[in-house]
Amino acid sequence: MSQRGRMPLLWLFIQAGLVLVSCFTDMETGPGAGVSTQPNGDKFKIEGRAIVPGVKTQDWVSTARVLVEGEEYVGFLRTDGSFAVNDIPSGSYVVEVVTPTYRFEPVRVDITSKGKMRARLVNYIKTSEVIRQPYPLQIRASGPHSYFMKRETWGWTDFLMNPMVMMMVLPLLIIVLLPKVVNTNDPEMRKEMEQSMNMLNPNPELPDVSELMTKLFSGSKGSSKAGSSSSGSKGSRPAAKRR
Amino acid sequence: AMAKLILLLLKLCILFFVVDAVFEDQVGKFDWRQQYVGKVRFSHFDTQLQSSKKVLVATESNVFAALNSRTGELFWRHVDKIGPEGNIDALLHHAQDAVLVVGNGRMLRSWDVNVGGLNWEMLLDTGSFRSACLVGQQGTVKHVAVLKKTVISVHYLSNGHQKWVENLPESETVDYQTVYSGGNGQVFVLGIVPHSHITIVVYSMEDGEIIKQVSVEAPWLSNIPASCAVVGQGTLMCVDSTTMSLNTLDLHQQLQMTQIPLQSLGLEVDPDFHPSLVSHQPNPAQKPLSEFFLQLGPERYLLLQLNNGQIVTLRDFKPVCNCFFIFHFLKDLSQINLAQLQPKATLGREVKLTLHVQAFLKKDDSVGYRVMVQTEDHTLTFIQQPGRVMWTREEALSDVVTMEMVDLPLTGTQAELEGEFGKKADGLLPMVLKRLSSQLIMLQAWIAHLWKLFYDARKPRSQVKNEVSIENLSRDEFNLQKMMVMVTSSGKLFGIDSKTGGILWKHYLDNVPKNAAFKLMVQRTTAHFPHPPQCTLLIKDKDTGLATLHVFNPIFGRKSQVTPPALPQPILQSLLLPLMDQDYAKVLLLVDNQYKVSAFPSTKNVLQQLQETASSIFFFLVDSSQGRLSGYRLRTDLSTEQVWEVVIPTEVQKIVSVKGKRPNEHVHSQGRVMGDRSVLYKYLNPNLLAVVTESTDVHQERSFIGILLIDGVTGRIIHEAVQRKARGPVHVVHSENWVVYEYWSTKSRRNEFSVIELYEGMELYNSTVFSSLDRPHAPQVLQQSYIFPSSISTMEATLTEKGITSRHLLIGLPSGGILSLPKMFLDPRRPEIISEQSREENLIPYSPELIIRTEWFINYNQTVGRVRGIHTAPSGLESTCLVVAYGLDIYQTRVYPSKQFDVLKDDYDYMLISSVLFALFFATMISKRLAEVKLLNRAWR
Repeated sequence: MSQRGRMPLLWLFIQAGLVLVSCFTDMETGPGAGVSTQPNGDKFKIEGRAIVPGVKTQDWVSTARVLVEGEEYVGFLRTDGSFAVNDIPSGSYVVEVVTPTYRFEPVRVDITSKGKMRARLVNYIKTSEVIRQPYPLQIRASGPHSYFMKRETWGWTDFLMNPMVMMMVLPLLIIVLLPKVVNTNDPEMRKEMEQSMNMLNPNPELPDVSELMTKLFSGSKGSSKAGSSSSGSKGSRPAAKRR
Repeated sequence: AMAKLILLLLKLCILFFVVDAVFEDQVGKFDWRQQYVGKVRFSHFDTQLQSSKKVLVATESNVFAALNSRTGELFWRHVDKIGPEGNIDALLHHAQDAVLVVGNGRMLRSWDVNVGGLNWEMLLDTGSFRSACLVGQQGTVKHVAVLKKTVISVHYLSNGHQKWVENLPESETVDYQTVYSGGNGQVFVLGIVPHSHITIVVYSMEDGEIIKQVSVEAPWLSNIPASCAVVGQGTLMCVDSTTMSLNTLDLHQQLQMTQIPLQSLGLEVDPDFHPSLVSHQPNPAQKPLSEFFLQLGPERYLLLQLNNGQIVTLRDFKPVCNCFFIFHFLKDLSQINLAQLQPKATLGREVKLTLHVQAFLKKDDSVGYRVMVQTEDHTLTFIQQPGRVMWTREEALSDVVTMEMVDLPLTGTQAELEGEFGKKADGLLPMVLKRLSSQLIMLQAWIAHLWKLFYDARKPRSQVKNEVSIENLSRDEFNLQKMMVMVTSSGKLFGIDSKTGGILWKHYLDNVPKNAAFKLMVQRTTAHFPHPPQCTLLIKDKDTGLATLHVFNPIFGRKSQVTPPALPQPILQSLLLPLMDQDYAKVLLLVDNQYKVSAFPSTKNVLQQLQETASSIFFFLVDSSQGRLSGYRLRTDLSTEQVWEVVIPTEVQKIVSVKGKRPNEHVHSQGRVMGDRSVLYKYLNPNLLAVVTESTDVHQERSFIGILLIDGVTGRIIHEAVQRKARGPVHVVHSENWVVYEYWSTKSRRNEFSVIELYEGMELYNSTVFSSLDRPHAPQVLQQSYIFPSSISTMEATLTEKGITSRHLLIGLPSGGILSLPKMFLDPRRPEIISEQSREENLIPYSPELIIRTEWFINYNQTVGRVRGIHTAPSGLESTCLVVAYGLDIYQTRVYPSKQFDVLKDDYDYMLISSVLFALFFATMISKRLAEVKLLNRAWR
């Protein structure tokens, strides 16, 4: 556990070092601040390419857009899938390629006041974490959007494999078939059966198998009684029905 | 512990499955989308192929699109940023490339017309845009020239790279206005020093060298594009409206303008009219045509020709409109006349219009025309040659401002039944007879319905058309079909059938001021037969504050006979009271800037009711420029007195929005049952206002947003919350006992949601009625915040008939998706540590990030461009909420926040249930028979 935890931490330190070396001094500058502090500051360009594996670009570029920080800056895709969003002041931005058909992961792009670019994974929780992405951006679609839920389909196998149905059908089969297979009129056979029944339940004072099972399960929980009572009762209910 | 975890996982799974999503076979069943582009600014017919069906349009909504000229549908559409950065300055079209100049000359974009993708994009230097043209040489077009205030640049059409850029000489004094090329390797830039002279600079196409620079005296000229045109072999033709003369200048040779008085040509200009010129250059690699149009009056055009310096009148058109012409195929002039006259005849009324005409040569060598007409009310009509309207697009719907959903009226028979109960009884026997007769009518209608069903069932599915028109409109049994009354910024009102999306009526208000604010109110619903339903639209000029009322019938769109009161004073506030007059119209109160109140309708009955209830009528006014929020009370003489005032210092923060609760909202449960079986009662104050403020300081370290919850009657501040290091835009939803708002966190650079819930506690102070004046205990306030992984455009909550169904938030995203997020995820009681009790309550454990699942998009891939508002309305079914999202597009659907618990699902398997029933029935029959046989056999034994 501690071994595993240390490795990413170390990695993070290395990354942080890199960050310092590449002098991202204004890492925390938001886009709003970028505008307000340097109204005549330089404007930069975010470049990249979006790829949908196995699909010709002509088939999807006409519905695609590049959104930088919501709709604050908008770019369009060229017929080869590449794009450029112009006139962006320094700051940190989330760049997203949106199409109604394909799903693209967003990327965070940091631009220094000198125009150095860096792309990294978007992490909204640990906002300063840096996992580098290639720049110019290479955004690969991770497949089509799944908009629809699957309908529950009905089949005979589903119906038969239902535990309730199994529970009903099996005893029925036993009741109907057993008397036919075993000749109950034979006195020898009857004797044998009685013996086997006694074998199964040698001592009538002993608890039922199902009760035993419930106890076994609830016992494993030990002290947490509140939790066991609910799951215990749930466990015993079907067993009781079975009797 | 393991079992607990499994249980939890199971519960989570269940939670995820409770959330509704669209099934693939439901696509288009309950929902529809209409896509718009906005008011057309530039258009071009794609003429590279005879069979091409594309019309390119660039609009005032910063949209560039290709329309199908046969159907009016979109081939593709590109939506740029709102505002001046996305503004389209020019559209040039050559072969399969369309070149756009965007953002006041900031960007040059070339689009592939066939694919709808970008060829290239070029950032230009700053400087305000003047003009652009395509430049051809030796019959081919290879360059595009862009003229700005101080520079001219020429770019290759193939890749956008700059060929050359030159500063314009004396650009401080000369105002350069147009650029022209006749296809001979020269680029002419025409500039002007107003009321002095024209400057003509000729550049060499090869290297941008100035070949020639001349000034020509023209003291009467101030605007070249408005009064001049280049005609024929490169002759600048200008019309001077002071001396009423044509002035010609050969750009290649002459240094002096030649004046030709219009009188010498036998022409006369209509009084007070500035004549103008229209010329045409069919191909940028060739010279313009020597024929040109001269407009002499609002309705009067002349076709002239320049022939060796001589002007010849070819034809005089009298009753024509503001027209553009492509006279490339100019052969038989009589046919042009035909094309011009038709639009007016088809449109039938006098409206300002712009024409976009395409002429083409038909197979039999005659000239054919296609005309696209843009009228003042933003309707786009496409007309094929013999006056046949191919399609119309209501582009006003690209800018819906507000809307309401109105119940449809009952059918005639149902209304008959209703009327029976409304009237005074006139004896027993007539009533019985009436009852019987109405039952008979219903039976008849039912049989007719059955017959129609049977008749339709025999026909193939595709032929069955359910044409909806105003005549056969009627409420369905679950009130799922409604009339959508939409108000657009252009002042055009629409009535749209919510089931099909068909426009049932439209009404253009032509006196609407430019920046008007609209408020639509339903004064009388359809429930009060025989009184017609009544809607009132308040149109207020934002500058002057002066308002007008438009009263109309929302079902038919007709203006009501009721005359609304004239409002001479600016209006500050309007409120629709639950009081009704004797004709069941709700009372509308209007507060003017003298704090005087007027009522509409203002009958004696209404005034009397107002006097009785005046002491309990309170209202509030917001003055965001002064940062003042004040509450008033109505006096019996319809004057007002101020009750409370809250001042928010404008130096520190400004009021962004004030949100109350929706008046038609119902809350079913008064409280929430806790894990220990006690009840936590909700604080359901109907007068609560949520006030959002933003700091004036926008620095990321110091900016903040604030939320104030104020009681609108007493002015008591119930709660105040400040979100530091945050800025707007803030989106708020206020409903039941909660307020949800979304903001941008400048510290973490992400969007965050925050929810505030108010509770009375374990005991309810006065469970029968809520009064703002008698609530001694402050409510308990719970708040929690979450990260949202996208910015949002708009937000609204679902609404159902009785409020039993759980609530969802409908969130419009910039990507065009509309996310249905269960309110359950925004619950400040979500625990960080799971306990037995929280599990009992079905609370989801807290996690900082809300997730966006595409399955939760209610509009699947039918994205809504620039979604600006979402309107929700209850239907007759408790489970179902009707949703309309509007922006550039309109999308209508139904949502079921707690699934369809009150109707059978649409995939309900009737076959299965009936086959099981039959099987059981036969099984019992057979087993009974078998048992009988067995008994009989036993008896025999």
